Amino acid sequence: MNMELSRRGFLKVAGAGVAGTSLGAMGFGEAEAAVAAHVRPLKLANTTEARNTCPYCSVACGIIIYSKGDIRKKERAEVVHIEGDADHPTNLGTLCPKGAALKDFVSSPTRLQYPMVRKPGSDRFERISWDEALNRIARLMKDDRDANFLAANDAGVPVNRWTTTGFLAASATTNETAWTTFKVVKALGIVGFDNQARV
Amino acid sequence: MSGSQSLQPDPSAIGRLSKAPFALLPDAPRLFRRRSERFEALAEGSHLSPYLHFLARLTAAQADIAAELPVPVPIASEQVERARANQMPPLDRNVMIAAPGPQDVVDRFLTAIEPAEKPRQAADALRGLREATRETREAMLRNVAADSIPFESLPQHVYLSAAVQIYAAKLAGTLDASRLVPIGTGLCPVCGGPPVSSMVVGHQGAEGARYAACAFCGTSWNEVRIKCLACGTTKGIGYKAAETEGEEATVKAETCDECRSWVKILYQNKNPSLEAVADDVASLGLDLLMQETEYRRAGFDPFLLGY
Repeated sequence: MNMELSRRGFLKVAGAGVAGTSLGAMGFGEAEAAVAAHVRPLKLANTTEARNTCPYCSVACGIIIYSKGDIRKKERAEVVHIEGDADHPTNLGTLCPKGAALKDFVSSPTRLQYPMVRKPGSDRFERISWDEALNRIARLMKDDRDANFLAANDAGVPVNRWTTTGFLAASATTNETAWTTFKVVKALGIVGFDNQARV
Repeated sequence: MSGSQSLQPDPSAIGRLSKAPFALLPDAPRLFRRRSERFEALAEGSHLSPYLHFLARLTAAQADIAAELPVPVPIASEQVERARANQMPPLDRNVMIAAPGPQDVVDRFLTAIEPAEKPRQAADALRGLREATRETREAMLRNVAADSIPFESLPQHVYLSAAVQIYAAKLAGTLDASRLVPIGTGLCPVCGGPPVSSMVVGHQGAEGARYAACAFCGTSWNEVRIKCLACGTTKGIGYKAAETEGEEATVKAETCDECRSWVKILYQNKNPSLEAVADDVASLGLDLLMQETEYRRAGFDPFLLGY
């Protein structure tokens, strides 16, 4: 398909870097050498552009995250810019003001990075492990459901609802995740619920 | 290049999403004029200044001839439809170069660039080409049409590529962009050629979209971003540019870890002056740096062969 590619190895051997290039062959070898001397001390830096989904709402706009450094090349990557993905069918490159401010959300000092708990009566959040967090959530859900689950209303009609606990799930999920979340939450009888499966 | 030139405010455009057009066909005189002006601007203070000035002259000649040239006979609509149905390029390069039109353009171009200041090798090649037999020239034109340039007569082929670009751009300009279909990743939907470079544009209706630029016929076509233009994969794409303090590079190498090749990507949305061919040549430093890596250049530009 690309003839230039198949020929390249040959050109390099034949030209020894001068006659094998358009510049060398046209007699501009000196200019070429000047550029070579100029770039010799320079180093190449890696940047990446990665597709992702905006996590804010269920519209799930496509975004491109630009970072300095490439983690695949064992470097540390730092997010430098986020913009709408022009190739994404949902938003064609556009973003709402919240989505447009995503970079600040990523690098915010108050961003939640691990499970934290503010116990009743306390004035601050404390960091806890995932195991502790999940155990605690399960325990509290079970206690609350046992205490407040409504199997039937006053008229005796079965309603199977649990109105004292709500559940909010993120938008950047696959269909399968959204489906599973929906089934788990609705099976428990939770009424106050929002996730991607709504749309 | 821009989608809308009107200064008139258009409130209806607000809040409406428009899909980026698939192909942007060249307006030959404008394409080459802009390229020539860009070469001239880039030559100021560049290490590559002599070559950029020379190419500014060449592309100015391309623009002059493109402006004088009558509109070529358009490609037959049956051929366009047949190509469309079979996902083939409608412009058949071999048929095009065999016609008398391009031969005449070659003559005019070689005459027009005669006075341009050039090194001995370039002058010798031009003289040789002007004295060459019709058969020799035809054989060389076939190499140009095949993007297969033999290294032993590189300068002659650089001139012929530039001459053929004029006619190809005029011919591409007669097509109807809405009748073009994608024929494969990294292939020009008009002539089937590889791209010089690709460009993230900022013009109205296509903000942030990426267009690949054909070296042969000057057509630009929409390609999904963060995708290798040589093999079409979306995995393992990275970007490389010389390390700079503060300012982010606007010309980068888009590298592919699957096929180990790279193509230049120009961020015109950050710097509207960028031009696919002129800035490809002017960023030769990036090619030299990339030679030290494991990646091979997949962008094709007759003015910058051999890297």
